[in-house]
Amino acid sequence: MSDLLGALSGWSVNVAIAFTALRTNLMRSILTTLGVMIGVFSVILAVAVGNGAQVSVTQQIATLGSNMAIVVPEPERGNGPPRPGDRGRLTERDGEAIARQVPGVIAVAPQLRTSVQMVIGGRSANTQAVGSTEAFGSISNLDTSDGRFITRSDVGAATRVAVIGQTVADKLFVDVNPIGQTVRINRVPFTVIGLLESKGSNLGNDNDDQIIVPITTLRQRLSTATGQGPDDVTLLFVGFEDEETLVAGDREIKALLRDRYRVSKGKITPFTVRTTKEIAETSGQVTQIFQAVLVAIASISLLVGGIGIMNIMLVSVTERTREIGLRMALGAKRSDIRNQFLVEAAVLCIIGGAIGLLLAMVAAAIFQQVADFPAPIGWDTALFAIAFSAVIGLAFGGYPAIRASRLSPIEALRSE
Amino acid sequence: MTALLETHDLVKNYTIGGELVHAVNGVSLRIDQGEFVAIMGASGSGKSTFMNMIGCLDVPTSGTLMLDGIDTSTLDSDELAEIRNRKIGFVFQQFNLLARTSAIDNVAVPLIYAGVRPAERRQRAIARLEAMGLGHRMQNTPAKLSGGQQQRVAIARALVTDPLILLADEPTGALDTQTSLDIMGIFQKLNDEGITLIVVTHEPDIAEYAARRIVFRDGKVIEDAAVSSRRRAGEP
Repeated sequence: MSDLLGALSGWSVNVAIAFTALRTNLMRSILTTLGVMIGVFSVILAVAVGNGAQVSVTQQIATLGSNMAIVVPEPERGNGPPRPGDRGRLTERDGEAIARQVPGVIAVAPQLRTSVQMVIGGRSANTQAVGSTEAFGSISNLDTSDGRFITRSDVGAATRVAVIGQTVADKLFVDVNPIGQTVRINRVPFTVIGLLESKGSNLGNDNDDQIIVPITTLRQRLSTATGQGPDDVTLLFVGFEDEETLVAGDREIKALLRDRYRVSKGKITPFTVRTTKEIAETSGQVTQIFQAVLVAIASISLLVGGIGIMNIMLVSVTERTREIGLRMALGAKRSDIRNQFLVEAAVLCIIGGAIGLLLAMVAAAIFQQVADFPAPIGWDTALFAIAFSAVIGLAFGGYPAIRASRLSPIEALRSE
Repeated sequence: MTALLETHDLVKNYTIGGELVHAVNGVSLRIDQGEFVAIMGASGSGKSTFMNMIGCLDVPTSGTLMLDGIDTSTLDSDELAEIRNRKIGFVFQQFNLLARTSAIDNVAVPLIYAGVRPAERRQRAIARLEAMGLGHRMQNTPAKLSGGQQQRVAIARALVTDPLILLADEPTGALDTQTSLDIMGIFQKLNDEGITLIVVTHEPDIAEYAARRIVFRDGKVIEDAAVSSRRRAGEP
């Protein structure tokens, strides 16, 4: 117990000695700390931006819906650039077949997209119209914050109704409840029946800048596409019960479509099935690589900061050789001298690290405000920053400290 | 009398510029507890090298050095550090106080390495400084103390771990005559209280305050005798 107290008081003495020494050469200490500060600042900011990218991607994937597959009539990538003939067809009947025959499918929603212009009073907005069915809302996690979503009877009767996104509502309506208003979409009058719950934007892509109308209405009234069959769709959203059926569903859907379109063996499947699980995994990998590259670049400045610490500690040891000799004469062991200089280096680094961390927090907050991109710095990151600075101090202060401890007491005392 | 320090055929060689120098060349002597010894000699006579070896700051090339019954040649660097800390107090010509550090903190330094707790360190440092008549100067840094005061702080520091021997290397070399006499008076008082003192000096009149005089030349002892007309500090 008293040994422990003695050891602790030994360390506190070393901290006091370190502060005295650092104060003595204040300008030098500040400049040295600056190196570590910049290093820690850039590493923490890189971690924060990387975390932000991950959060952003996770959010984006959550907005897609949890267990969902998207079927696109294009051959899978990796077979060179797509040729005109590669693009297959996909119809609402394919969707019905998938719903019936693939195990674990809860619902299928077809989707047809077109650009539209909306006008009300003197205001107008250009946006994307998504034609789909009542199933689309549940599969892709879309809900209304006000009013209602499109229904089965809207789709059956091809009614002229639209559910609009928040961005669209902001452009068209000021101080008016949009629900029940009549808007002209490509000159056709539509009634606004609902407002989509805001999903924000991910990486510059505004999820609220769209409207949803019954697919039948879009096909009859809004579509500008030519050369399409009567029930052709852009893509199919397939909702699954759980992750297990989703993973199996990928193959099942391809097999079913190959069969339906009589694709002979050996020919490539003209359809791509992308599941939310795959998207999440791929995006996760990409953001991880992105983060690793950022941190690696930032680490170089930390390395330079560490070398600065080593340089200044070597100078400090040389300048204080006589003091080292005196301390040895008074009974300091080699380990006492080593610890004294290690603590000095660690104190320099921890101060630099703490300031760097604070600056990184400020920069992250500004970044978040200006770029509308999350850059979270958690307690774990903060603790990591401080601990990492101490480790830098110990690593780069280690050599000078050991050199100091190996001095011969008499030669150190004699030095001028 | 018990032998506090005993050397047998002590040798220290250096190589300087490719040439072998016999700094100490076969010294055998014995110093008992309670003695007051002056070591004299011209510069280069080997007196300082001898002093550094008995202070465990330097290791002999050959020969033995027994300190308080311990053969120092068997000790590693940590054990030598402990001997310096517990058994030996050093006083230097240039005082060697830590700059920008108060008198009290300077005196407490050896206690840090002895593993003494802060409150006790402070208490013992204060007691030593008061005994040196520096009770009113405890918070001063060396820059605010006179040479004599600085040397008294250094003596307080040397005594704070209650050592057996006080080793002083030219302790009056940087001081004026009156202050030198004051310091020698302090040494005599300490010796009267029972501490063993070894003082290296090149000034014959300073050596007269000691009880025994050992003279070095060319690495050997050429004279070792009691001081015939010993002076007492405070006497003309």
